[in-house]
Amino acid sequence: MRVSVTELTKTFRSKHEEVKALDRVSLITPPRKILTLLGPSGCGKTSLLRCIAGLENPDRGEIAVGDEVVWSKARGIAFPPERRGLGMVFQSYAIWPHMTVLDNVAYPLRLRRVPRPEIMRRVKAVLDMVQLEGLENRPATKLSGGQQQRVALARALVAEPKVILFDEPLSNLDAKLRESTRQELRAFITSLGLSSIYVTHDRVEALAISDEVAVMHRGAIVERGTPTELYFQSDNPFVVDFIGRANFVQAKVVSHDGDAFVVADTRLGRLKAAAPAEVTPRQEVTMYFRTESVELVRSGEGGGLNEFDARVKASLFTGEAYEVRVEVNGVEILAKLGLGDRVTEGEQVRLRVRPEWCRVLRPQS
Amino acid sequence: MNARGWLRGAVPPRTLFVAALILVVASLTVGPVVMLLLGSFSRGLGALGTFTLAKYIAAYSDPSLPRVLLNTVLFTLGSALFSTVLGTFLAYLSVRTNIPLKRAFSILPLIPMMFPHVLFAAAWIILLNPTNGILNQWLRVLLGTSWGPLNIYSLGGMIFLEGLLDLPVTFMVISPALYSFDISLEEASRVSGASNVRTLMKITLPMLRPAILAAFMLAVIRSLAAFAVPQMIGIPGRIQVLTTYVYRVISVGWSPDYGRAAALGVIVLVSAISLILLYRYLTSASERFVTVTGKGFRPTVVNLGRLRYLFFGIVAVLFCVLIVIPALTLGYMSFLPYTVMPGSRALTLFSLANWNAVLQDRIAIRSIGNTALLAVGGATLGVLLSVFIAYVLVKTKGRATSLLDSLVFLSFSFPGLIIGVGFMWFLIRTPIYATLWALLVAYIGTYLPYGVRPLTSAFIQVHHDLEDSSRVCGAGFLGTLRRVTVPLIAPGVLSAWVLMAAMFVRELSVSAVLARPGSEVLSVQIMRYAYDGLWGRVSALGILMIGLSASLVIVANIVKGRLSSVN
Repeated sequence: MRVSVTELTKTFRSKHEEVKALDRVSLITPPRKILTLLGPSGCGKTSLLRCIAGLENPDRGEIAVGDEVVWSKARGIAFPPERRGLGMVFQSYAIWPHMTVLDNVAYPLRLRRVPRPEIMRRVKAVLDMVQLEGLENRPATKLSGGQQQRVALARALVAEPKVILFDEPLSNLDAKLRESTRQELRAFITSLGLSSIYVTHDRVEALAISDEVAVMHRGAIVERGTPTELYFQSDNPFVVDFIGRANFVQAKVVSHDGDAFVVADTRLGRLKAAAPAEVTPRQEVTMYFRTESVELVRSGEGGGLNEFDARVKASLFTGEAYEVRVEVNGVEILAKLGLGDRVTEGEQVRLRVRPEWCRVLRPQS
Repeated sequence: MNARGWLRGAVPPRTLFVAALILVVASLTVGPVVMLLLGSFSRGLGALGTFTLAKYIAAYSDPSLPRVLLNTVLFTLGSALFSTVLGTFLAYLSVRTNIPLKRAFSILPLIPMMFPHVLFAAAWIILLNPTNGILNQWLRVLLGTSWGPLNIYSLGGMIFLEGLLDLPVTFMVISPALYSFDISLEEASRVSGASNVRTLMKITLPMLRPAILAAFMLAVIRSLAAFAVPQMIGIPGRIQVLTTYVYRVISVGWSPDYGRAAALGVIVLVSAISLILLYRYLTSASERFVTVTGKGFRPTVVNLGRLRYLFFGIVAVLFCVLIVIPALTLGYMSFLPYTVMPGSRALTLFSLANWNAVLQDRIAIRSIGNTALLAVGGATLGVLLSVFIAYVLVKTKGRATSLLDSLVFLSFSFPGLIIGVGFMWFLIRTPIYATLWALLVAYIGTYLPYGVRPLTSAFIQVHHDLEDSSRVCGAGFLGTLRRVTVPLIAPGVLSAWVLMAAMFVRELSVSAVLARPGSEVLSVQIMRYAYDGLWGRVSALGILMIGLSASLVIVANIVKGRLSSVN
């Protein structure tokens, strides 16, 4: 089901300052898809999620779940969380330690006065789904972190909520478990066709798990798109920088091919790059390319577009790649080279960035 | 190599220090307990060591004892229950709801720590005694009855007053549990479809069960040790509990029977120690309720809506009952010859007679001096000892440390009156018997946890790197303690000092046993006035007592101000 948020504003006041956690945020979530709210801490993503859940009250605006308005300042509608028909997985899992797994998962059903045999049937079904079959009578305190997380998921799912909310559900798992759980969780949510809103500050997690990502900054959504769109085609400098590592280069446009590409002069030489339509010749612009987009040109393969010579200043081996810092004509460029492309400090190398990986930012007016 | 250097090489000063500390603490805590036991098997104070079971037989064959035991159980459980319910209610309101004046209100339950219990009981006797209690007189006019209607000299009255006086204990155990409560556990319940009230009943209260139980246990221990309320209310009301029964054995008649008192005291002490051990077991078992916590959201405030004013009203009434009404009553009463309802007749009776009588009473004047001396001297020595103990408890680990911890912890359960009897046996053959020194030693031994607790938390906040770097720079163990650690914990030291001094000003139960002619203290003198029905003098001397307490707190705050301006 769809969640529509209209012009939502929320301000936190302390003695010394006012912080706008949400500044006229509007958003319509895609049904049966995973939408992730991504941003640095304090960007408002958690406030937005909690406002949708009903755990916090915004100052202005409207929230609807499906066609039902659950919050509207203007119309005086304020549904408490228990009447919004949502499921939520908390960062701390919030498994009640004084109950068994069964009690935890059956809790939403008992509140809805579901008959006992049906409760047992549905709890068993949902525990099977999250692969916790047979653990019904285990005290909640006797569960591992991963199991607690699955109990939390089962509890959020069991009452068949209209939308399920995830508040950084993987941040308490260790790095390795987090990666495998990420995969399982995505497969699980998509197979059930659940409408989900997912909050995280981890860009890799956001890219991996989402159908769509909305990047938030200072209480507003700055850009929204699919993971690949955001990663490679963003025009927004904050998004480009936050979502990955990029090299920014000042450029002067020479010509625009009228379609999607420009040719521009930079200190790396003349480069061809994708660009927004409004860019005009002789304009001063900023161009960026990701560190992974830089390729090493081997001898005999050169002579193509967007190539430049560089001197290697430092090379770090990180296990999965070489992180190489090079200097080109007084500009420093970071490149992530594959394990086959080992270079050494002081070496002269020739590098290339394909035009489709180079992008001009939308000029700031 | 000189002698000192050789000594240093042989035994590390730290070990010597810890051993000496354990010896001091053990003689202050285990000493009186052992002597109480020995005394209970002896023929009398003069014949210590001559084994006999006569005292036990005499003590436990008294036909009135079953009634005393029943009263003790009812009084103890009743006041502990009342205090726990009230403490939970207040803790929840102050931590989790949007009740007005939240900050002021977290101090409210702590008032009974500063307000002398003797005076609290006295004020409520002046207000609610069945013959001429001021509130009763007023209620009679209102209801048109000729008797009562309320009688403070009853089990109900005792439970009511003691329950209020135990409030600091229950509140201080439950409110931190509420503070550290992971709010998302409640939020998960709300999103699952439960209302605020249902979440409270199904999630919050069940999760707090260990803390509530712990608070209840401590309140039981406090009520079992209670002496002021049972003595002031229970004796006129002919409701004896174990402490007042023991007190009667040593205070009434030609020759006080300390052997029988010890034989009775042993069961009180054994119950108290068993309870504190059970408490410790329960609180350590409750650690399984520790959960993974999320990022620190500000605790969501439960919106009470319009009910917040109702609850605020209840709290305001409680505030009046705890401090405003008793204080006003004492002030008013100190100018009257006997209890009269406020009005024109009272005005014609107003005089300074009570104040004159008190200020001319040489025993009263001496008791003020003695109490001041004991409070200042006792708190200073007590805090000094507590600093060493707390330091060892926080900074070292090992068998010696846990022994020290247990000694201090156990002494928290000691009922003052009973341990007073133990000190009696302990000190009778020493030259300090019947001097102020006897009271000083017994005070420190009995109230040690009040100094150690705040200092332990102060030491926990001093990171050990700060000390380690001092050691590396060349300062010794004691040098580091003096130059680095103590200055850092100075605020904690002052808090502990204020707490101990306040306890000593209002101390009654140990003093009731140990005070002798020449070493009278304020609370005992007030109890004597009350026994003679001199409520005006009780009030006047009581106000002087509160004044003494207040001036100690003010002095400590001035020192605190100086300290912070130096830094």
